[in-house]
Amino acid sequence: MLICGAVFATPAMAVEAEPAVSLKAAPLLQIGGFAITNSMLVTWVVALVIIIFAQLATRNIQKVPGGIQNFWEWLVEGLYNFLEGIIGRDLVRKTFWFFATIFIFILFVNWSGLVPGVGTVGWGHYTPNGLFHIDRPLLRGGNADLNMTTAMAAIFFVLWFIWAIQAQGVGGFLKHLFGPKGETTGFIFILMAVIFFMMGWLEVVSILFRPVALSFRLFGNIYAGESLMEAMSTMVPALAWLLPIPFYFMEILVGIVQALVFMLLTAVFTLLIAQHGPQEHAHE
Amino acid sequence: MMLTLLAEMTGSIHVGLAAMGVGIGIGLTGLGMATAVGRNPGAFTPVLVHGILAIAFTEAIVFYALFLLPH
Repeated sequence: MLICGAVFATPAMAVEAEPAVSLKAAPLLQIGGFAITNSMLVTWVVALVIIIFAQLATRNIQKVPGGIQNFWEWLVEGLYNFLEGIIGRDLVRKTFWFFATIFIFILFVNWSGLVPGVGTVGWGHYTPNGLFHIDRPLLRGGNADLNMTTAMAAIFFVLWFIWAIQAQGVGGFLKHLFGPKGETTGFIFILMAVIFFMMGWLEVVSILFRPVALSFRLFGNIYAGESLMEAMSTMVPALAWLLPIPFYFMEILVGIVQALVFMLLTAVFTLLIAQHGPQEHAHE
Repeated sequence: MMLTLLAEMTGSIHVGLAAMGVGIGIGLTGLGMATAVGRNPGAFTPVLVHGILAIAFTEAIVFYALFLLPH
């Protein structure tokens, strides 16, 4: 995934003017050929915080929840009911662990990038107009790194394939992609079968682009948010304390919307392939 | 005048055009979703699912332009 992300990131890096916020995460230290970047550091810290928080909440489970146990129960139950309404009871029981993890994790990684100090503490230099520009921040939003989002999209793609095969079987999977749909007979049926076979290839291309779209959507939104905030705080030096504030609130919203979109899209993709029968849509 | 201007244009214009179209498309999808939920608030979940799917398929066009066509 590291290589994959690097390949995607290189052509854009060739632009003459260097962007204010670097497109890729900066390495903090090198262990052999393995670089630990600032985005990875944030990702690990957030993962650790979530794990500790969840452990604390479930260490001493009460029948009547209170405090952080209540918070986690509210979050997990809310997500479960929401997903059940969309992808149905059987599927949610099987796949909830993934969608809940991805939502909670993306949400907290997005919001952690907004904590003051992330992206503004680090190594840098003075620009000719007297401003200090950070070249290598100590911390950088985890999803502002294409490697992270590509890794999550790739994991989903593998799981999607496994769930599809489990639900449909290999034959059913191929039939779902290339087989004719609808009820036609005779000559029209043969015509439709040919057309649907051709459509299947379009479907395959569209499916192969899903992980790309998923990873770029999340990365693009978060990276654009970081750039926007950087631009707002350097555009008018005298108002640097005021201009970013509205955008902070917008970024809080973007953080939750992108986490929701990532979860919903992966859930709906799974629903589309794991559906049995022609029209068994998830009605509440 | 116009023709020389067009001839001098270089770079990934198709990506910009695709992004423009995708923006319009997603806006229209959002309009449709908002109208649908406004008319029938009970259908929020199915509208959301279909809207999100439509947006995802629309959005993919810009990635086709980015990766499938040579720059």
